[in-house]
Amino acid sequence: MNIQINGKVESFVAETLTVSALLVAQKVDMPEMVSVEVNGDVLDRDAFGTTVVKEGDTVEFLYFMGGGRA
Amino acid sequence: MSDWSFETRAIHSGFNRDTKTGATSVPIYQTAAFGFDSAEDIADVFQGRKFGHVYSRISNPTVSALELRFADLEGGLGAVAVASGMAALISVIQTLAKAGDRIVASRSLFGGTIHLLEDVLSQMGMGVDWVEATNLAAFAAAIRPETRGILVEIIGNPKLDVVDVRGLAAIANHAGVPLIVDNTMTTPYLCQIRELGAHIGVNCMGKFLTGNGNAIGGIVVDLGTFDWKNSRSERIQEWSRKVGKMAFLTVMRKLVTVNTGACLSPFNAYLFLMGLEALAVRMDRHVINATSLATHLASHLAVCHVSYPALPGSGFEDLVKTQFGGRGGALLTIRLGSKEKAYLFLNALKLVTIAANLGDARTLAIHPASTIYRDFSESEQQASGVYVDMVRVSVGLESIQDLFHDFDQALRVIQGSSLKNAIGETHA
Repeated sequence: MNIQINGKVESFVAETLTVSALLVAQKVDMPEMVSVEVNGDVLDRDAFGTTVVKEGDTVEFLYFMGGGRA
Repeated sequence: MSDWSFETRAIHSGFNRDTKTGATSVPIYQTAAFGFDSAEDIADVFQGRKFGHVYSRISNPTVSALELRFADLEGGLGAVAVASGMAALISVIQTLAKAGDRIVASRSLFGGTIHLLEDVLSQMGMGVDWVEATNLAAFAAAIRPETRGILVEIIGNPKLDVVDVRGLAAIANHAGVPLIVDNTMTTPYLCQIRELGAHIGVNCMGKFLTGNGNAIGGIVVDLGTFDWKNSRSERIQEWSRKVGKMAFLTVMRKLVTVNTGACLSPFNAYLFLMGLEALAVRMDRHVINATSLATHLASHLAVCHVSYPALPGSGFEDLVKTQFGGRGGALLTIRLGSKEKAYLFLNALKLVTIAANLGDARTLAIHPASTIYRDFSESEQQASGVYVDMVRVSVGLESIQDLFHDFDQALRVIQGSSLKNAIGETHA
């Protein structure tokens, strides 16, 4: 499947992945601090293990502690 | 990590071992900025798409380790560490409220916090509604449409009145405003304010958390118990659509502390991390010493009154039992009959240090009326539990026998002076 992650299209062999598995597959740093948005909806952290992403989905990883105006 | 006991998490949470060097102690990242391999990388971190540190006013790995560890100890979603306890309090208020908004606050707040609310908030167009700390009905009555938060200290300093956190949380939930609890006096070791229903925790880290009185710092924890989607703050509501439960912390870091520059130095974060490791052991000893000293002083002829929340007759025994497991903290006050006697006593102390801090390994004492509360009128002082003959004592970790000895010898000086006066009066 192809999904768009943080604005870039990424390809996966699997046809679906849970958000937890996606965080591992993408080697996301500090996963305990990331917020995940799937198709514009922010997920509850408790739902990472049960929410499934599939072909054509748009995913954004957001860190509340990153960014700012240095 | 949260399955482990408090003592274990205080040592291991937030940092296990440095992945590059194996260092077991959290390294001090004493740097202003962090370099990147590409323009794209730094842009992704700025946009929050990738994890990373760009500038220590925004975030720093040593400070982050402290934030993760402390948030875990309070059972919260996350934390923001700042330069002082005062910076923590004003940052919370600036996150929740804007000009025209109001805060409901306990009258038993520390004098410095009262000054902060009176002198700074008014200049920013915000108002404060003051309420007796133990009067739940008055808190409920003080909440208006403009109220953006309720602020209390878990134990008033130096009034030593204990707030009913569960009762206040019920009022806050009913009104839809967050309950902010300053947990400095008990720390998360003596009181898990999240379990009592508080929404935001504030701690002044230069007290018991470091335990050595060696640095100034503050920390704010979102305890994950408030529904920010329905916040009275439009800005937090807006951010909750983007970052969900992290809305409060996101607004606080991205829109408040980053801009005000109230950041904590990495070196101080390191000192607090070191202090936290032994917090449980130290607090147990603080409580044993404070209870022993309060009991000892309560039977001393030269002491008119002892105030300590766990002392029988304090009026707070039930709350101390249900909220703190019977442990009354490490602050007590004594009244000695006059300002002169209070000064005589302080000046006669040999081991105890006269100083304006608390939660130190060293026992500290101060005359609040002529120092922290010098600008308050007599009636304002009394509303804050301050009397002209009162001495505040932060009980440290010394041998209790040595503390008894020092207090007894200083109290004998007062008794000697009273005797001389009595003899003088007879002769006159």
